[in-house]
Amino acid sequence: MSTTWRWPARHARLVLAVLGVALVAMPFAFQMFERAPKGARMIASFRPYMTAARLGGYQLELREIGAGVGEGPLVAAHLYGSPASAGERRFASSYPDFAAFAAQWGGIDADMTSMLRTIQANLGNYEAVAALPSFTLFPWFFVIPGVLVLVLLALGLARAPWWRTARWVLVALGLGLVLAPAVFQMFSRAPKGGRMVTAFRPIETSARVARIQGYFAEIAVGQGAVQLGLISALQHSGLTSAQISSGYPGLATFDAQWVHILNDMTPMIGAMSDNVGNYEAVAALPPFALFPWFFVAPGLLVAAFALLAAPHGAPSVRREASSDLPNSLTEGVT
Amino acid sequence: MNSRFATRLGAGLAAFAVAAIAAAPAGAQQLKGLFRISAGSYFRMEEPAGAKAKFFANPYSTDANKTYTLVTGGTDGGLRTGVLQSAPTPAFDAKGDSLAKGIIAPANFTGIKFGLVTVGTAPSITASGGRLSGQLTGFTAQWNKLSFKQGATVTGTYNAQTHAYVLTWSSRISGGPFNGFTGIWHLQGTYQA
Repeated sequence: MSTTWRWPARHARLVLAVLGVALVAMPFAFQMFERAPKGARMIASFRPYMTAARLGGYQLELREIGAGVGEGPLVAAHLYGSPASAGERRFASSYPDFAAFAAQWGGIDADMTSMLRTIQANLGNYEAVAALPSFTLFPWFFVIPGVLVLVLLALGLARAPWWRTARWVLVALGLGLVLAPAVFQMFSRAPKGGRMVTAFRPIETSARVARIQGYFAEIAVGQGAVQLGLISALQHSGLTSAQISSGYPGLATFDAQWVHILNDMTPMIGAMSDNVGNYEAVAALPPFALFPWFFVAPGLLVAAFALLAAPHGAPSVRREASSDLPNSLTEGVT
Repeated sequence: MNSRFATRLGAGLAAFAVAAIAAAPAGAQQLKGLFRISAGSYFRMEEPAGAKAKFFANPYSTDANKTYTLVTGGTDGGLRTGVLQSAPTPAFDAKGDSLAKGIIAPANFTGIKFGLVTVGTAPSITASGGRLSGQLTGFTAQWNKLSFKQGATVTGTYNAQTHAYVLTWSSRISGGPFNGFTGIWHLQGTYQA
């Protein structure tokens, strides 16, 4: 005895309709139309800064500032002589802005360096996310297949003969959804995006950005103290510019590079600040690692139920109860 | 509409117009001209809200208190009302110094000079009974290849005899590296029609 198992086509179509509606509804449920474009803006805003050269440049600038700050005691010794401790006390009282900055620099440097290292460590993750299709398109990757499923179902309902074609289009659509993550390398890229979002969580906050803004203010005061205070005092002590450059290369470099540092760091702080809201929107999306499965699972289901929804007289999915019995191609034979 | 209703409507509108005229400041005068910017004018930047007000210190300020950045009139002499004072092209030099020299002489802020321009809506200021009020919504500061909207409604004082004026306002910066900071402006000098 042979058994050809078939889901009633009507039930399969009902499931397909539910899948179509679910695909259309998913972007709305996850607020993708609002959040995904913010993600696209964040990725685009970070692009100029997310290069090894640029991030390396920021770290060099921190080292340059640090080298300048580190030469404070040398300047103190030159200006106030020995004993060093007494000289440093007089130096600190004569140049309080520099002394205050030097006292804060260790904390600023540690925090900024840690942040830059985190960002640098996620360079590959950023590049993987940036290589995905634009986030702005993501909601449409669900809506368009969902609408297509519903339209094809409607066509099949409107004219029974069309269903044969529509069903195979649905199978192809389902397979397309299954293949899409592989085509876009989502299985490797999306989890990297997830790791980047996690790593940036302590960085892209209003509080952290405000702290960086505060550092910027402190560094600006420190640089002013170097140029208007220390270098000026060294010049008054009789040193030429060349002697200052050779004797205090850290201070001279910090001073000479200051405008470049300002040009370089200011827009980065701006980008960090401007993207706090965008980051929050991205972080509120479902985990990135799940994204490929948001395509694969519905795709498999659409393809499977399209196959199950065979019309009358069409080949159906069969389950052989006994291989020695002939197959049946007619619906309803069980 | 019958004639009685029309009469009542007309009377109502007339009463409203009279009340509106009575409510308007007596002798309000639109000051369309040049607000020359003189010594004593300044800009301050307050850091984002904390327990205590903290101002950004500009080491290159020429004032003893480095939280005040002093500004003086530029090639136009100051701020014009009724017209825009647009940014030049290019707006910045390679260093990031603003090349907008009309309203103020570009002032050094942390090593880079900022200038002022007006964009969008031309400034308008009205004097009434020794008080100034108006809008500077297009007031924009340019620094380090960036533009910062600093427009707001403004208030101040005006002496019709000496034409001396004082204008003050504050504007919270939205977006960019100084997001959340508040620019505080104080311009003073004389008005010239």
